[in-house]
Amino acid sequence: MRDRPTGDELLDLARDILRGDLLAHVPADKKYQALMVANAMAIAARQMRAGDGPARDQLADLAALYGEAVPDGDPAAACRALYARLSADIRAGRFDPGRPGHDAARALVRAQAAQKVRESNPKYLDRA
Amino acid sequence: MGQGGKDRGEDWRGPLAAWLTARAGAEVRVAALAKLAGGAVQENWALDAEVDGAARRWVLRTDPPTRVDASHGRAEEFALLRAAHGAGVTVPEPLWLCPDAGASPIGKAFFVMARVDGVAAGFRLVRDDTLGGDRTRLLERLGGELARIHAIVPPRDDLAFLPPPAADPALAAVAEYRALLDTFDTPHPALEWGLRWLQRHAPAPGERVLTHRDFRTGNFMVDGHGLTGILDWEFAAWGDPMEDLGWFCARCWRFGADGKEAGGIGDRAPFYAGYTARSGRAVDPDLVRYWEVMAHARWAAIAVQQGERFFKGGERNLEAALTGHVVPELEYEILTMVDD
Repeated sequence: MRDRPTGDELLDLARDILRGDLLAHVPADKKYQALMVANAMAIAARQMRAGDGPARDQLADLAALYGEAVPDGDPAAACRALYARLSADIRAGRFDPGRPGHDAARALVRAQAAQKVRESNPKYLDRA
Repeated sequence: MGQGGKDRGEDWRGPLAAWLTARAGAEVRVAALAKLAGGAVQENWALDAEVDGAARRWVLRTDPPTRVDASHGRAEEFALLRAAHGAGVTVPEPLWLCPDAGASPIGKAFFVMARVDGVAAGFRLVRDDTLGGDRTRLLERLGGELARIHAIVPPRDDLAFLPPPAADPALAAVAEYRALLDTFDTPHPALEWGLRWLQRHAPAPGERVLTHRDFRTGNFMVDGHGLTGILDWEFAAWGDPMEDLGWFCARCWRFGADGKEAGGIGDRAPFYAGYTARSGRAVDPDLVRYWEVMAHARWAAIAVQQGERFFKGGERNLEAALTGHVVPELEYEILTMVDD
């Protein structure tokens, strides 16, 4: 439990000021850098809001894919380990078309990519 | 930061003029030398010279303080420019090369080429219709330029520094990007899915030609009338000609103009037609599509590497760090493009 404004709220406000008031005073040759700073702040705020929710969801899906219990402990670390295993399995052809788990693995991998896009560049998902 | 660009340029002018005089066979005076913006892979200087009193506008191209590993050095790039120029590709005319840092008037290897006017920035080209002249003609022209590049075939003594062509360029690329991913800790299952798809669907090896490997919007210059120069030759290699067409058309290089499938500029048809008219090679859209998936995988692997520089090298470079955040949309696009 933290007092408000929380970190993501502060980042949103600071970013609005950077883009609204400060940007006009940034020299032309530094504007691109200032916009990169604003973009970095937006990504950080979105990741803070998402918290470890995505990792928990994905961990459940990964455990289901492998028919195993959801591992205990830090969901991000457990997720990373299972994604490393999944990556090796995909490379080895264990989820090729016609193999068991193909559709589930494909859906899971696409969902993970979509979740990362939601945090890194959500506008991309609006592009048809 | 101790050496400002301006100061270095001042120090170089005298020795450079003497070096150029020896090469040009005429009295060369360096009137101005100013560093041009950009240049993560190389450093460009606008060189205003007078040759026997007549004004000449050149570019001096040299290595920046830190080099990107995968790119060719300046001597190799000079040889590629000469080969392209000889094949009738619209490139800045390469003039003189100094391959030896020890004998260089500026303390490092460089070459001098003609200066070409125009705009290269991709986001400007796709938004500003006054650039590049008629868009259909521009695409036909770009197709024709690519065909001229692809008319350069191995073996070539002047390009002997290029690694020999791979027996199977598509599978070689898949192996290369996997090896690159293996040097980092973060797993990328979506990218792995794409690479497995690319392995399973690899086309039979076709012709081997000189491929530019960075032929896309942003890497050629245009003015108000049309194309003025094909740039950025540092990734050129022997390869499958269709790889360049896929790279050019890939959605990740349309700068947001997604509906204009040829480089964010316009339709594919005039680009393909211009290519076929000069090369005699028919364009198989399915093959181009395969190489568009490959383009996303390649750009994603490079972007992973850029993002990881932040951790491995401790590099405090925000642009590289944010390039790492392009990886998700490239992975997502790959999963959208591949149907199995």
